[in-house]
Amino acid sequence: MLIQILNGVVYGALLYLLAVGLVLIFGLREVVNFAHGALFMVGAYLGFSVAAAGYWWGALVVSVVAMAAIGCLLDAAVFRTLRKQDPMVTVLVTFGLLLILETLVTAIWGKAYLRYPTPTILSGTVTIAGSPFPLYRLFVIAVSIAVAISLSAWLRFTRVGLYVRAASTDPRVASIQGINVDRLSLIVVGLGTALAGLSGVVAGPLLTLSPTMGSYILIDSFIVVVIGGLGSFTGAFVAALLIGQIHNFGAIYLPWAATILPFLLMVAILIWRPTGLAGSRA
Amino acid sequence: MSTLAQGTIVVRPRRIGATTATLLAGAVALAVGFALPLLLPSKIAMSLFAQALFDALLATSVGFLFLQNGRISFGQAAFSGLGGYAFGILVARGLVGSEIALLIALLLPTLVAFLLGLVIARVSGVAHAMLTLAVGQAFYEVAFRWRELAKGDDGMSFDLPRRIFGLSSRGLQDPAFMVVLAWCLLVVVLVGLALFARSRIGMVTAAIRDNEERARFLGYSTTLPRALVYALAAFIAAIAGILQASYNGYIAPQMFHWTVSGYALIMAILGGAKFIIGPAVGAVVLFYVKELAGQVAEYWPAIVGGALVLVTLTMPQGIIGILRLLWLRRPPQ
Repeated sequence: MLIQILNGVVYGALLYLLAVGLVLIFGLREVVNFAHGALFMVGAYLGFSVAAAGYWWGALVVSVVAMAAIGCLLDAAVFRTLRKQDPMVTVLVTFGLLLILETLVTAIWGKAYLRYPTPTILSGTVTIAGSPFPLYRLFVIAVSIAVAISLSAWLRFTRVGLYVRAASTDPRVASIQGINVDRLSLIVVGLGTALAGLSGVVAGPLLTLSPTMGSYILIDSFIVVVIGGLGSFTGAFVAALLIGQIHNFGAIYLPWAATILPFLLMVAILIWRPTGLAGSRA
Repeated sequence: MSTLAQGTIVVRPRRIGATTATLLAGAVALAVGFALPLLLPSKIAMSLFAQALFDALLATSVGFLFLQNGRISFGQAAFSGLGGYAFGILVARGLVGSEIALLIALLLPTLVAFLLGLVIARVSGVAHAMLTLAVGQAFYEVAFRWRELAKGDDGMSFDLPRRIFGLSSRGLQDPAFMVVLAWCLLVVVLVGLALFARSRIGMVTAAIRDNEERARFLGYSTTLPRALVYALAAFIAAIAGILQASYNGYIAPQMFHWTVSGYALIMAILGGAKFIIGPAVGAVVLFYVKELAGQVAEYWPAIVGGALVLVTLTMPQGIIGILRLLWLRRPPQ
């Protein structure tokens, strides 16, 4: 039982890493990045190329740094250029990017499913409540918790974090107060995309790599963000854990309905609270 | 451009004869439809055009939702797929007569869209886009996993009933017949939508799209008309799905996939989502470009994605918008 709950937490942890990136970007730019899943996938493949050469930890670094750079580029080239347009214009452009990235990855790495190596140091198992549990899965949970804690600390206790919170509440008033929202957004979108790269590498050994892996997890993380309430970090955290549990327990006890349980939950929550669990912004 | 999601179409005062003109144009188009088998050189050309018309119907459904509701859907394939699946499964299992099967296949997606619309219509903008993507994919997952329903991932072939409405159903798999049928249905749908836009309820939905709060202030219920537009859009999508399923004699989860919805949306934008006829034109253009791009088909998604980025940024009015601009600017004779 405990093992099952932990398995759910592992998937929830992955979803959180993606969803929090979406939330960060939504906070500053008020758009949802439809290419976020594709960036997760690109991060996973970049990492794969390095990890396949035997440098798993190098893969982590390379992927995070490269994705941060891509995120900054994305913000400067797309989000900043289109900031005065209707948010749907940006959404459509990111949707176009998603198609381009998927094709690009297919062209480079092919369509075949690839297996990711697990770092040797984390390849063992530990015994939890009398059953063996892969150490690597604990590592995924730990990464996610570390990100959650450092992100909250950053947002709450640093000056830049204060700026981010201010700009997320109201970008216009924040810039009147002298905050350079464009520079801030560069950092935040870079960070959000770096988290997508991080989760791509971390998810690698758990999932099989394929060019469509991004779209599947993107839809789950959309559900997380919608349930949690767009723009809410706490909401995303709670919703990610919830969906992780539903995903896992559904697969065991209600296999025929497992894949649509998250959707049903989402519709139910939207009927009850149209702006999501923690939602204040529509 | 900045108001892409809130339509900027001005509802013009009713011109005398506008309805007549629409009906007349429709009648001419129908006549052209019956001549199609003579105009197209080969069975292959007819088959291709028929398939382009299926796309056109689905794109029209997406475009209508945007035009009358201001909502961008990333999940319209849910309803075309549902129509195709309902028809295919009912026919394959022989549960009901073929006419009843057709009726159910048309009404089920409509009803589902209406009920979903009551929930989804309250969500706007970006969140709406995410929601429709997720809901559409839920249908895909069910069709994919539920093997007892229609063989899951493998898809299911089915034989058409021999007669439907007293007519031989063989025509449904004959390109020459199908191209006429699909064209005529598309024309009827487009004329119907043009009349809808001018009707009272059409005006109300346009008012709600432009300013929901003001419409509510004027005493209109806003959720119900929105849900109605969802239902109508799904009805059109269902026609596309049923035609496609019966033409191929095959249904598969791919019919529900988000890429189908996404491409339909791109077709609508490419053709000009602010015009009733735009999405259909975009669909036909994109379909033939894909046919021509045969050798580079591997890179097709990237080409479409690039086209989407380009069109959204540089010509948001789409093909019809550009043609209209050229027409208005034509030199005096």
